[in-house]
Amino acid sequence: MKTALKFENIYRSFKNHFWQKKKEVLKNISLEIYQGEIFGFLGPNGAGKTTTLKILTGLLKPDSGNVTIFGHNVDSMEAKKRIGFLPESPYFYEHLTGYEFLKIHALLGNYTNCKKRVYELLDIVGLKDANALPLRKYSRGMLQRIGIAQTMITDPDLFILDEPLGGLDPIGRKEIKDLLIEQKTRGKTIFFSSHILPDAEAVCDRVGIIINGEIVEVGELDKLLKRGVKTDEISLEDWFVGKIKKNHA
Amino acid sequence: MHRIWAIVENTFKESLRQRILMLLIIFSVLVIVVSVFLEPFALGEAPKILRDFGIAAASLFGVLIVIIIGSTLIHKDIEKRTIYTVITKPVKRSEIIIGKFLGLLLLIAILQCAMIVIHQLVIFIYEGSFDLPLFITIPFSLLEIMILLGILLLFSSFSSPTISAIMGIIFFVIGHASPDLKLFADQVNVAILKYLAYGFYYILPNLENFNLRIDLVYKLPIHLDQLLFSICYGLIYTIFLLYVSIIIFEKREFK
Repeated sequence: MKTALKFENIYRSFKNHFWQKKKEVLKNISLEIYQGEIFGFLGPNGAGKTTTLKILTGLLKPDSGNVTIFGHNVDSMEAKKRIGFLPESPYFYEHLTGYEFLKIHALLGNYTNCKKRVYELLDIVGLKDANALPLRKYSRGMLQRIGIAQTMITDPDLFILDEPLGGLDPIGRKEIKDLLIEQKTRGKTIFFSSHILPDAEAVCDRVGIIINGEIVEVGELDKLLKRGVKTDEISLEDWFVGKIKKNHA
Repeated sequence: MHRIWAIVENTFKESLRQRILMLLIIFSVLVIVVSVFLEPFALGEAPKILRDFGIAAASLFGVLIVIIIGSTLIHKDIEKRTIYTVITKPVKRSEIIIGKFLGLLLLIAILQCAMIVIHQLVIFIYEGSFDLPLFITIPFSLLEIMILLGILLLFSSFSSPTISAIMGIIFFVIGHASPDLKLFADQVNVAILKYLAYGFYYILPNLENFNLRIDLVYKLPIHLDQLLFSICYGLIYTIFLLYVSIIIFEKREFK
């Protein structure tokens, strides 16, 4: 299998104030995501999921280690051309309409002939009727959907999504999950973080668990769930909670 | 080029929707009110005062807009996390700085033109003719705005909007006191003060280079070499400020 993205021995620490001691947020993160898979990056709050995603998108730099996307450095144009990123709880330019927002992102992604593409995407995410509405009038679920549309605008090979299912109602979650699966069938790679474990369970090929800045498990979902348990009926949620408790013990 | 244009368009729309047009209305009302009430007290100097006031007000409103919007231009994007989806597209950070600079400059240029047109209309109503040479103030006022916007972007790329706005105001005041600084440097006898004053005079922007108000109001001759020097000075100073802003912004992290 070809590698889509690769983390090699990533360390990252922060200090809130100059007089405080640095706190290590990521400790020796090494991870390989393969082309065409949906990878769920799971962990409790403050585990380091968002920091990892920010390093992956070049918003933060690691203290040490290396991250590549399709073999390119994350800061390179080659890497940026191939990703679509949705930040956690996205806030978009409120003064823009849905159409204007997607058009600007299409231009930023070097997609010049964009009108048809923008309407196509508005239709896919169910916002065609809201295309002329300013984003400040969008609900949380609508914002999440326009955010997903913005990741798809340049038809990237790798989707990096931070909590893509957050703030969505069950129908919205179903629609986004279907979209992710559809992208996978088109050969796209999806790397996403989530707290909503049943949803991750429904779409992921593999998951990675991060706790206190360290990857504690990576693997195919079925194998992880079966390992060390007597029944096949255990859910990802039960397994995940058990893993966290064990790690804290 | 279309990537920069996308940011220009976004910045323009964002700035325009901040009720900035209210300032244009206030300007129009001020110019008209001053014209109406000033004439009886002007002792025959009304035409000069009307021109002086109109040019000064248009320039000051431009400065006001650039400080209000320019100081928050980058910080707001970072604070609201709207920059995340922009910066992760195949766009260079330099293109973001240049796009934001041009977007706000475009808006101020249009507003400056609108203010000078309103000013001309008021002159026409009172005097029956236009004073077209006053239009030359627009490019020079914009050169001053470009330097101030460069300073605001420079400080915005690593500090808070409040610090950026304060620095913008300080540079505006010092920039217009530049000839006085030179005079002080020429006359002071304490060596260290002399060198300091000369140092500040040569390093800080001399915004008086772009002030054509007195020349136009009193119809003094304006020399081409003086204009060319001011244009080159403004452009070089702005490019330098943008260059430093880009270097700082390229190293910035988004926590």
